Amino acid sequence: MLVPVRLTVAELLRDRLGLTGTKVSCEMQVCGVCTVLVDGDPVSSCATLACDLDGTEVLTVEGLARGRDLHPVQEAFMDANALQCGFCTPGFIMMAVALLDAHPDADQAEVREWMDGNLCRCTGYDPIETAVTVAASRLAAATAEDGQ
Amino acid sequence: MAVLPELGLVRSSDLDEVLAAVGHDYAPYAGGTELVPATGLGLRRPAVIVDLKRVDALKGIEVDAGAGSVTIGAAVTHRRLSDHPVVREHLPTLAAAASHVGNARVRSTGTVGGNLCFAEPRSDLGCVLLALGATADVRSATGARTLGIDELIVGAFETSLAEDEILTTVTVPFEPAGMSYWKLQSYERPTLGVALVVSDSQWEVTVGAATERPTRIVLAAGDTAGLADFVGGLELSDDMTGPPDYKRSVLRAHLQRALGAAA
Ligand SMILES: Cc1cc2nc3c(=O)[nH]c(=O)nc-3n(C[C@H](O)[C@H](O)[C@H](O)COP(=O)(O)OP(=O)(O)OC[C@H]3O[C@@H](n4cnc5c(N)ncnc54)[C@H](O)[C@@H]3O)c2cc1C
Ligand code: FES
Ligand code: FES
Repeated sequence: MLVPVRLTVAELLRDRLGLTGTKVSCEMQVCGVCTVLVDGDPVSSCATLACDLDGTEVLTVEGLARGRDLHPVQEAFMDANALQCGFCTPGFIMMAVALLDAHPDADQAEVREWMDGNLCRCTGYDPIETAVTVAASRLAAATAEDGQ
Repeated sequence: MAVLPELGLVRSSDLDEVLAAVGHDYAPYAGGTELVPATGLGLRRPAVIVDLKRVDALKGIEVDAGAGSVTIGAAVTHRRLSDHPVVREHLPTLAAAASHVGNARVRSTGTVGGNLCFAEPRSDLGCVLLALGATADVRSATGARTLGIDELIVGAFETSLAEDEILTTVTVPFEPAGMSYWKLQSYERPTLGVALVVSDSQWEVTVGAATERPTRIVLAAGDTAGLADFVGGLELSDDMTGPPDYKRSVLRAHLQRALGAAA
């Protein structure tokens, strides 16, 4: 695929590929609704150039579920009522996935440190923190089972 | 969404090719965390952007045990800096500061070089690196020079780099005993940063974020009058995080706590 240099990742995803799960708001790297993973690292798709994706693997919220099976982080967000309007949710979920991939045993301080750059205007954050913690313990339990 | 203007791209893994390209209208960039929004807002108008992040020579982190220093490539991201075992061992204060830069997305794309060369006053790295006595290695297609951090960053959003120069590496002496970094931060960038190196004989105080550029003073331990003069004479910013008087009060309170001395 050829893209103009000036195209951002968010524009590529939303306007050219029709993948509108990734949202855009501040375009200043502050709110996190545009978070996607590039080679596992969370980036702001609003401020990243699509040409920089060359040779990388990109994961968006559309890529999390396996068929009808939601990703454990998505399940945990539903179970913990960690969304109201839902606009911030794809960004929070992608950030949580990035965190738990890098630090499966993340403690509360790490959860806060990583989620700190995502804004939510509805939930008051507590349910989101709970969701990430629940997802972490479920993932840990699943890994322990696999290991047996 | 803000649409960026037309841009050309130069991309290479070879430092010489990149150096040959950088120049007027040919802006180097790495993570793009500053350049992309600044170009979207029309604050920067490069015709072509020259990608530094695929240049191997700009991505190393190497320790020189003999010299007692660590050399960090300009295109090293905050995340790699803060996670790197060598940095954590020899430069723990820098590693900790890098692990608290902005947010997790800025840390995974933003680089040391981009931070210093954008010269945004509200930076942690500039302050910590000045306090550590780091030097900046600068190259162009035709030459090389080495600068102190205070010679590289000369003002708010202002470096002494020529249009055809890039920062290649930063060489940082191992952290001395008695070093600390503390910041006040209520939004995504620091409001005030204070790096201290305290020994029985000396107080080294470096203040950043609220000043146009990081500002350092070396005092004899116990020189409270000198400290008060320094703090009183700093020109501090006036912005939405507070007026200069407020920042000066916070700075005094921090120094009092950290040094046990009234400033
Ligand atoms: C939301 C947000 C929060 C932030 N919070 C903090 C914070 O808490 N503390 C802090 O210290 N910083 C903070 N920053 C700043 C952040 O550290 C920088 O944005 C980042 O490091 C810049 O690196 P980059 O590679 O993305 O730069 P780019 O955007 O790629 O480049 C920035 C500028 O530097 C030039 N440049 C880049 N590399 C070189 C080089 N090697 N030689 C010459 N010129 C070069 C470019 O031409 C451009 O003008 C924050 C930024 C954002 C967006
Ligand atoms: S839209 Fe990208 S961080 Fe807000
Ligand atoms: S659920 Fe509405 S902004 Fe977070």
